Amino acid sequence: MLDAALTALAIFADPARLALLLAGVLAGLVVGILPGMGGIVAVSLVLPYIYRLDAIAAAAVLTGALAVVHTSDTITSVLIGAPGSAASATSVIEGHQLAKQGQAARALSAAFLSSLIGGLIGALGLTLSIPIARPLVLALGAPELFMLTALGVSFAGSLLGKETRKGLLAGLVGLLLGMIGPSPAAAQVRFDFGRLYLMDGVPLVVVALGIFGIAEVIGLLSRGGAIAQRVELGRGWMQGIRDVWQHRWLVLRGALIGVWAGILPALGATAGTWMAYGHVVATSKDRSRFGKGDIRGIIAPEAANNAVAAGDLIPTLLFWVPGSASAALLVGSLLRYGILPGPRIMTEHLDLIYVIIWSYAIANVVGAGICFAISPGLAKVTHVPFVRIAAPVLITIALGAYQTTQDMGDLLALFLMGLLGWVMSRTGWPRAPLLIGFVLAGPMERYFVQTTGIYNQGEWIYRPGVLIIGAVLVAPFVWGLVSWVRRRREARAETAPAGQRSAIDLVFSAVMFAVFAGALVQIQRFVPGARLMPLVIAVPGVVLAAFQLFRSWQGRSLAGDEGPPAAGELRSGLMGFLALGGFFLLIWVAGFHVAAVALMLLFSLALARMRFVPAIVYTAAIVAALTGMGMLLSIHWPVGILRGAP
Amino acid sequence: MRQIVLALTLAIVVVFASPGGAQTSYFAGKTIEIIVPTAVGGPSDILNRSFAPFLEKHIVGNPTVRIRNIPGGGTVLGSNWFAANAKSDGLTLLASPVGSKIAYVIENPAVRYDFRKFRLVAVSGGGAVFYTSPRTGLRQATDIAKTSGLIMGSPSPPGNVVTALLALELLGANPRVVFGFEGVGPARLAFERGELNLDFQATIVYASQVLPLVREGKAVPLMTLGYINEQGEIVRDPAVPDLPTVYEVYQQIHGRKPDGLLRWKAYRATVAAAWVYGRGLWVQEGTPPEILKPLHEAIDRMNRDREFQEQAKKLLEGYALIRGDRVEQHVHRGLRVTLDVTKFIRNLMLEKYGQTI
Repeated sequence: MLDAALTALAIFADPARLALLLAGVLAGLVVGILPGMGGIVAVSLVLPYIYRLDAIAAAAVLTGALAVVHTSDTITSVLIGAPGSAASATSVIEGHQLAKQGQAARALSAAFLSSLIGGLIGALGLTLSIPIARPLVLALGAPELFMLTALGVSFAGSLLGKETRKGLLAGLVGLLLGMIGPSPAAAQVRFDFGRLYLMDGVPLVVVALGIFGIAEVIGLLSRGGAIAQRVELGRGWMQGIRDVWQHRWLVLRGALIGVWAGILPALGATAGTWMAYGHVVATSKDRSRFGKGDIRGIIAPEAANNAVAAGDLIPTLLFWVPGSASAALLVGSLLRYGILPGPRIMTEHLDLIYVIIWSYAIANVVGAGICFAISPGLAKVTHVPFVRIAAPVLITIALGAYQTTQDMGDLLALFLMGLLGWVMSRTGWPRAPLLIGFVLAGPMERYFVQTTGIYNQGEWIYRPGVLIIGAVLVAPFVWGLVSWVRRRREARAETAPAGQRSAIDLVFSAVMFAVFAGALVQIQRFVPGARLMPLVIAVPGVVLAAFQLFRSWQGRSLAGDEGPPAAGELRSGLMGFLALGGFFLLIWVAGFHVAAVALMLLFSLALARMRFVPAIVYTAAIVAALTGMGMLLSIHWPVGILRGAP
Repeated sequence: MRQIVLALTLAIVVVFASPGGAQTSYFAGKTIEIIVPTAVGGPSDILNRSFAPFLEKHIVGNPTVRIRNIPGGGTVLGSNWFAANAKSDGLTLLASPVGSKIAYVIENPAVRYDFRKFRLVAVSGGGAVFYTSPRTGLRQATDIAKTSGLIMGSPSPPGNVVTALLALELLGANPRVVFGFEGVGPARLAFERGELNLDFQATIVYASQVLPLVREGKAVPLMTLGYINEQGEIVRDPAVPDLPTVYEVYQQIHGRKPDGLLRWKAYRATVAAAWVYGRGLWVQEGTPPEILKPLHEAIDRMNRDREFQEQAKKLLEGYALIRGDRVEQHVHRGLRVTLDVTKFIRNLMLEKYGQTI
């Protein structure tokens, strides 16, 4: 085994092969930086160019591309608050907060280093698990997998923020959102309201970009000023590295969670990253800084998401069960060389497996290095008045979202998700549980259906795996309950003085109630096989939402950690959404380029108060750059109906 | 001096007079876009991406061939988009995976495309294999109706599983079916874990993932869906010729052919539409013959290309890539499913499995 490993490494001594790997890495880095575009875009970008290569070279390039996407996706998450890929949303929550406090460099360097180590641990995990992967993957049956997804959802419970009620509701809304689309057990499409766009559910990328990206951008716009409100203190880069050393066990744990999430076919990068985040919060004694910029909330998830991509390769290579779309594409591209995944791949193509592992490791090192190198320049962006860069950011986010289905529905969904995320962040509703619920809804229901279908009632509960995971799941709740009771005895729980009603909070609570009530009505129309999980979610949802509405009416609903939103901020936020809506409408009517130019000019002239000539030059430069990039990446542009779009 | 000018003129004339097909053919300098109505990485996607460079090479004019994924609605969104937007200029093609055929055949209300109007560029297909766990005691397919305790898993219908369920219905088998799997891959994993004991996989997957299990004694192969040759007869699957087909098994059980039975018609219809001619490459209705011709000829050239043959062997598992014009009638006929068959399939799904499709 060591033999094969060293032989594979020697391949990279050939500069041509190394160069190919680097080409893949560059592609992956660029794609990672662009909001919303993840590993799959990177791999499909590189794909048309590998046809002349042999299997080893092709594998190196493809692995290079998919290995580093989760390193560079942190950049926009931290600096702008727009997730570079759905898995990177955790870095928006903690990293972007740090950037606002002027600590962008620290956040980025901690993230890159964690990503690097996570990726290396992932590669190591891939190596070590090859001999034992088959029995490992087979050991976990449907009941254990169900318990694991439940565990993941329970981690969301630790992210509930000060107001448990709102956090739970957010999680339930997320679960409900995750149920839009085909039901796993019955041939029924749920909550689609007859719209073809919703037939497959709302795409994850659109939800992440909306709830975190758009919400952050509008929030920044309405707050005014630059992203960083404080000048950076000290040498953030070193601080980040020191943070990683200080929390080195977190890096390890995050990476291990990531590898496991990858190995299990249903859990992907997003689920794994959030589980790592939830784990960190759940196991931390001092949780006060989470959500406000806690470096630990970057370290563990970033280690996790680089490790997941490695873990995803295991079921894909060894079973031909795709761990992720990008792994599926990578392995699928190897089919033409006669390399078939499955048990034989270890005996017949061990050299290739090691090339993949080494490519993964080297890519992570190089990728992190490049990110370190370019980030000081990029971090300066946090000191620029945000109005100047808001338009290109919005345009790029919209473009990223549009690539998912290439349908105007993507932009409509993006708008709605953005509105939802923004209102939530202004009224103290935590968004993290929503995303976790969304991501885990499908797998959880799926595994539950399989469990109850295969095993007889009750017989599966006593399986040792189920009991162990169940204990891990229940423990923090029990402990949390105990300490909550203890705390209540000591001090009255904080509530805002009665009578301080917030209009936006009230409206939002009412909307939430309407959503759950409406869901209950819709559920009546489902076939029996598709009703169980939605009911389990909608019924407590309606009850909780009613309670929340009541509290909000009383004025006893705590407004966000940043205090109740100022009237001015609310107004500018709504204006921002108006502009955004107008932008999307213009895209629909006149196509992308016209709308982009219009938005750029609006922002440059009216908001950033640039002079006419610089505004024109800026607009032209940005649109040209986007167009060029788009052609390189084979991006699809919305063509307005004036030009004959459907 | 004059000689030089003469030589140059001659050279220029020669260059322009030479039969440079690339300068006069339709596809020269153009880009063909293949719409794949599934997410990136799926089997249909991978297949078409592998074909793309060969299409570029062998279509006269060497156009650029690009893949565009429009996932959603279970292949319906992308197929609908194609029907509404593709022009009849041969520059937009639709790759139709199995699922889009099944949706079409059962008249899924969201379907806004009509394969019988599209023109067929190329088609390939595949078969599938049923196999069981040794623990069930089932050793040959003829005993399948008598075996109790069979449990199968699959993603929820409609989809590939419809064909499997019709086959089982034809043979009188009544396994428990657990829907809820993400794909056929996870169902296969559950089989390996011992949670399921009956499974059904495409031959390319069977050959690489299940045969090793068979050799280890952990799986017992039973039968194949069967293949339809160019004469329209049911024959053994060329990739797994040693296994009997569902058609043969029926005859062994009942001593007569199933032709004429509604159950058989329904089964055969889905096999033809979704499996044997399961993977199609189509152009828009109204595409003129002058444009279809170079496309069809390219398929012939591809099939003669040694490098493509190597790949096809691996990707298509011995099934042919057939020129569309040779089998277009068969395929169109196969897709013209009669109302009684559609009703039968729907009723079966509803009554036996509680699924409304």
